[in-house]
Amino acid sequence: MTDLDHLACGCDVNEVIEQVADGRAGQLTEHQRDCPACQAALQEFSRLWEPVRRLAAEPVPVPAGIKAAVASQIGKLVSDVWYTLHLAEAGALRIAARVVAKVAGDAASTAPGVTVAFGRSTHRKIAGPAEKATLRHDYRHAAIGVLGSTAVIDLAVAVKYGHRLDAVAREVQRRAIAAVRAKTGLQDITVNVTVDDIVA
Amino acid sequence: MISDVEDTYLVQRAQEGYQDAYAELTDRHGRLAYRVALRLLGNHHDAEDVAQEALITAWQRLPGFSAKSSFSTWLYQIVTRRALNRISRTRTTEPLDLVGDVPDQASGPGDTAVQRGAAEAVVRAITALPPQQRVAIVLHHFEGLPNAEVARITGSTVPAVRSHLFRGRRKLTKTLQEWR
Repeated sequence: MTDLDHLACGCDVNEVIEQVADGRAGQLTEHQRDCPACQAALQEFSRLWEPVRRLAAEPVPVPAGIKAAVASQIGKLVSDVWYTLHLAEAGALRIAARVVAKVAGDAASTAPGVTVAFGRSTHRKIAGPAEKATLRHDYRHAAIGVLGSTAVIDLAVAVKYGHRLDAVAREVQRRAIAAVRAKTGLQDITVNVTVDDIVA
Repeated sequence: MISDVEDTYLVQRAQEGYQDAYAELTDRHGRLAYRVALRLLGNHHDAEDVAQEALITAWQRLPGFSAKSSFSTWLYQIVTRRALNRISRTRTTEPLDLVGDVPDQASGPGDTAVQRGAAEAVVRAITALPPQQRVAIVLHHFEGLPNAEVARITGSTVPAVRSHLFRGRRKLTKTLQEWR
């Protein structure tokens, strides 16, 4: 039957297979209601396509490591050389700027009225030129000075509908500063909050 | 809740340098990338590689993403192209333990074995299809996308997609008939 282009009644085999494959085998046309050739073809193709439909409906278990692997690869691709810097007698202590931004973002997410908050450090615009300028320095991180003991953080915040935006933004700022101080030891912190969406 | 915000919001934030926004997009769409790669390539190892490559490529190209299409459509495009590249490089794909334990909807172990055999036959039949037919079958019949969306993803036309589907379905049906 699958070698023929048309059934005995003249109907196109491809059209009948399409009807079955799209899950419309039960929706008979007027012709098909009275046509034994079409009905036999519909039954046969339905049997053949059953394993396809079953496989398509089967959930595909996704390897757990994909997200982490992607994040790790992206982390390597981002030439983020910006750190906080504490010079101690035993050596330098550095915390990556993106980690500081993450701490701030996570703290901001806990403020009432916040749907989602993301943090980033604000070095991006000057990172390229600064890196180029200090490419030959032996101690690039220290030479740039980077954030030193100062952090300037941008927070993008989506707020739930019905909340006072300025009040939410102030609370976001307060929580972010407190969390960064508590978790990184930084004291001189500026947090810029942008409410960029309202979510119902 | 982060699940309340739409992809477009996350895409904009990711474009502005908020890496956590892209992590959320990866979380939402990693399943799609892996699932399509698996159906197109026929083995877990290549599918995992291609899904990861596609998600990293999407991140790298994010600055140029103009949001004319949805993020998922765009990701479908990237995954499909990556998978096609791999198919053209390797030419032969050998399905490796592709089918998990088929849920026991039948009465006994014999029926389950038959279902598993049938599922493996489907996987082999799909991976034996020419690439364009394979893509059309996977996107339309496995991902449930309409022909117009498949055409957008493959950079083709609706009549061309229909033609690939007709021929792919015909071959698939014939192979399954021989298997039985």
